[in-house]
Amino acid sequence: MKFSTYLKGGLISLMIALPAMANAKGVTIVLSEELDIVDPCEASRSNIGRVVLQNISETMTELHPQNGLQPRLAESWEDMGGGTWRFNLRQGVSFSDGSAFDSADVAHSLARIKSDQLSCEIGAKYFGGMELSTKIVDDHTIDITANPAQPILPLLLSTVTMMRSTEPMDAYVKTPIGTGPYTFDQYIRGMQINLSANPNYWGEAGSVTKAKYIFRSDSAVRAAMVAAGEADIAPNIALQDATDGNTDFSYPNSETVYMRIDHEVAPLNDVRVRKALNHAVDREAFVGSILANGTLLATGMTPPSTIGYNHDLKPYAYDQQAAKSLMAAAKADGVPVDTEIRLIGRINNFANVQETMEALQSMFNDVGFNVKLEMYEVAEWLEYYSKPFADDRGPIMVEAQHDNANGDPVFSMFFKYASEGLQSGINDSKLDAMIADATSATGSTREAKWKDTFKYIHEDLVGDVMLFHMVGFSRVNDRLDFTPSIRTNSELQLSQIAFK
Amino acid sequence: MNAFLLKRLFTSAVSLILLIILVFFLVRLTGDPASLFLPVDASEEAREKFRELNGLNDPILVQFFRYIGDLAQLDFGTSMRRAEPAIDAVLRGFKWTLQLAAITIALVTCLSIIIGSLAAFRAGGIFDRIVTFFSLIGASAPDFWIAIVAIVIFSVNLGWLPTSGTGSIWHWIMPISVLFIRPFGLILQVVRGSMLSVLSSGYIKTARAKGVKDTVIIFVHGLRNAMLPVITVIGDQAAGLLNGAVIVETIFGFPGVGKLMIDSILQRDFAVVLASIIVTAVAIFIMNILIDILYAILDPRIRY
Amino acid sequence: MTHKGTKTEPSILRQWLRMLLRDKFALCAAIFLLVLVLAAFLGSFLLDDIATKQNLRGRNAPPFDFAKQWIFWLGGDALGRPLLARIIVAARNTLMIAGSAVSVSIVIGCFLGLIAGYSSKFFSHLIMRIADVIMSFPSLLLAVIILYMLPPSVLNIVVVLAITRIPVYLRTARAEVLEIRERMFIQAAQVMGASNKRIIFRHILPIIIPTMVTIATLDFAFVMLAESSLSFLGIGIQPPEITWGLMVAQGRPYLTTAWWLSFWPGLAIILTTLSLNLLSNWLRVVLDPQQRWRMEVGGSKNG
Repeated sequence: MKFSTYLKGGLISLMIALPAMANAKGVTIVLSEELDIVDPCEASRSNIGRVVLQNISETMTELHPQNGLQPRLAESWEDMGGGTWRFNLRQGVSFSDGSAFDSADVAHSLARIKSDQLSCEIGAKYFGGMELSTKIVDDHTIDITANPAQPILPLLLSTVTMMRSTEPMDAYVKTPIGTGPYTFDQYIRGMQINLSANPNYWGEAGSVTKAKYIFRSDSAVRAAMVAAGEADIAPNIALQDATDGNTDFSYPNSETVYMRIDHEVAPLNDVRVRKALNHAVDREAFVGSILANGTLLATGMTPPSTIGYNHDLKPYAYDQQAAKSLMAAAKADGVPVDTEIRLIGRINNFANVQETMEALQSMFNDVGFNVKLEMYEVAEWLEYYSKPFADDRGPIMVEAQHDNANGDPVFSMFFKYASEGLQSGINDSKLDAMIADATSATGSTREAKWKDTFKYIHEDLVGDVMLFHMVGFSRVNDRLDFTPSIRTNSELQLSQIAFK
Repeated sequence: MNAFLLKRLFTSAVSLILLIILVFFLVRLTGDPASLFLPVDASEEAREKFRELNGLNDPILVQFFRYIGDLAQLDFGTSMRRAEPAIDAVLRGFKWTLQLAAITIALVTCLSIIIGSLAAFRAGGIFDRIVTFFSLIGASAPDFWIAIVAIVIFSVNLGWLPTSGTGSIWHWIMPISVLFIRPFGLILQVVRGSMLSVLSSGYIKTARAKGVKDTVIIFVHGLRNAMLPVITVIGDQAAGLLNGAVIVETIFGFPGVGKLMIDSILQRDFAVVLASIIVTAVAIFIMNILIDILYAILDPRIRY
Repeated sequence: MTHKGTKTEPSILRQWLRMLLRDKFALCAAIFLLVLVLAAFLGSFLLDDIATKQNLRGRNAPPFDFAKQWIFWLGGDALGRPLLARIIVAARNTLMIAGSAVSVSIVIGCFLGLIAGYSSKFFSHLIMRIADVIMSFPSLLLAVIILYMLPPSVLNIVVVLAITRIPVYLRTARAEVLEIRERMFIQAAQVMGASNKRIIFRHILPIIIPTMVTIATLDFAFVMLAESSLSFLGIGIQPPEITWGLMVAQGRPYLTTAWWLSFWPGLAIILTTLSLNLLSNWLRVVLDPQQRWRMEVGGSKNG
């Protein structure tokens, strides 16, 4: 190559590196999608949470992967009984615009997520089917009442971002203002979001002084950007692109993949058929091949770190003989095992979903089932996954991925297993009772009841074909000291990032 | 000319209205935005609330007339997902798309006409073979291939160019190159084909016999008559680029209209879908009118 | 009267074959296309089992491993299935879908373009404005709408692709007709009393066909690739059925680690396009009385 080419290359590299060098305490984070809304009441959505949650807007309590529920904006709380909890707020906290943080802000934030004039994801996802009311005792004490009573109300509050009491109830905010360690400076739509350190933060300042968020849809490009030094962290890259042991980290991403079985239609209404389906799958073969190493075999809907997870349950063994004899037994009793079963998959649900579905179809057909695979985009898939179901549907299995990083099964169980649950294919009154029971229990009784519920679903009812607890990948530039955890799926706290 | 222009504007306006009506009703047949916007485990009450807030529960004709009424005041509605006026999102994106499209088409037009004519002049020769070979490969290769391989080679391995983004002029080199290749291949072949027919006609033979220089023959006598199909195909490719170059946008992170349109279709964000279709339709219609005028300029025999 | 020593003119077939042999590139192209058509007919029948047998342990097997069976020499795909077998089997679906879509759009587009160029102002405007509307209607939206309104079938994707490609043929045909109809020989025909239908189909159509075919051969590639980007909606080909475009799209996440997944089917698309184009260029020369001499005497040396 000519000298001038080297010169050009060098100059360009310098041009790209210079801003990074000048910004030694700044980080660039590359996300997979542009943020359509930046309002903190949408912070339960992954990419919005990664920018806003605990960076700009904080919550009353915080769930730590190892230490459980910790105080954040609330210093302590107690159960007053009758569905009411009293929270004692931290003193001396203010929003980045100077206004003080007090009970009025808490009351307003809670009212806002359930507001009639705004569609807030936090309210829809975590607080559906319950009434919330607040009573302000004084500036730093507030009583929150849930009806029906929620024994895990403090845990639920770890999802609610605190906003100023002056925020509108009928419109999304364009510039979020919070109590957190960083301020939201600017959003150049389609290009980047700029954050900088909040000098008036009540807690310890982190090492990061500035943060820039950019957006690239293609995983290979995100990985390339970190490799080329144009970005520091790509919190979410595909398995294929995580090839560098030094910079790539895998973390349990709190997603569980499973096949939801419709129990109403033959032959899926026969427990032997459901057991046969479970035995037909060679789960181990997926790990390290189609799915990442570190993917866990699942026996329940929530990740193993959730309380109430029943560690005694074993995944169904890969046993084609057992599957075939179960089917033969069912067939002898007149169950129409040869009916064509539709396997509905969701395109781009997770990396390699296409291969996974094709492999599963092949495994089911190998033991004698008649399974047809249909892959759909989100809108169409949702018609199959959520009620109302079509009356004249044949036997259907729907592939889905469920996310629960919030530490308690209650967030999942009703929707997925109760007779009234929107995504439930089951209609079992005993299960309904068990779920209701566990939901209202507290402490170790609660744990035990959830464990029993999972056991009942997995062994007695054979509710679905439980597959995997998934793993995500991040790429982190060498110059940073940051390790992704299960929380990286929903948040990326800049204060947890250090420089080497 | 004026009468022609007026007539064209009028008929184009009619087709724009037709397009709006078609899209408005058809897109509402295709699914529920509420279930797409909210998480899967949102309650039915949350979904109902979303529909209420966005006026989706009103009878469809009511929604339609409300939309037309707003449109007359140049209000394109609010994006359900982005909580900003639909037209803002679209125009922001269109700015980038227009730049990408204009630069690409300009480059394609110049280069393909020159090279295609030269190839046709000595049809079957080495130059022709090589040019045809490479242009066809470029025109049929998948564009994301070219993009990602280019990034790996030029950014990650050689470090000459930035991977993606829009900052400096260096950021434009790879995206434009990727966008350039397919239209170039196609139009080069069309130019070559047209020129072949023209170059073997009577008056060209006469010119050659008279000893007129080659370049004059090609570019002055030959090209003009070959141009009609060429500019039509250029227009078609330009329309494709105006609809947004999705691959380039997603891979290189140019926030253009293509990705916006796809996302809003998949999310059933009606206001943005309509706004982006209207904006690109206006651009395409105007371009087609200009092309028709160009026909008449290039070939004076043409009457409409 | 035939004299000794004078040869009779050889049959048409032999003439064409000789002209084909003149142009080596066109010959290769023709052979390749013949092989392709054979693959389309027989491939599925012969290789279906091999092409669908999954082997998770042999996933993404690299190519050029000559220790393995010949069918694995191009490598294995994401589920361990041999790429060579998949490509051969996929030829049928690919050619069928792309072929149908391109044929339908060229016939309709050409026909409407001829009418738009030659007939009255009213029809001309009507057809052109309809073409404008189609040009502005995103193909993705059309695909989603069809997905919701019609029962699923492979026909749907052919319809979507055909409709979206009509405008280019329509407009180009019309542009050429506008120019051609002003030519002397057309006016002569009109004066002699030829009907419009005769003028359009007997005189004008043969002139515009070469340009249409040139566009069509490149459109083939575009349609093959566009088909895969619409398949993600669940319309069109569903697994385990496969087309080249789908294989290319499915290989995209692996581009930097297992490049062969996208490369070989992409190469198949490129080679097909090249062959179609070379053959159509040859055909254009052969069918044009003014240029045919290039294939008959001396060939490229007299270019």
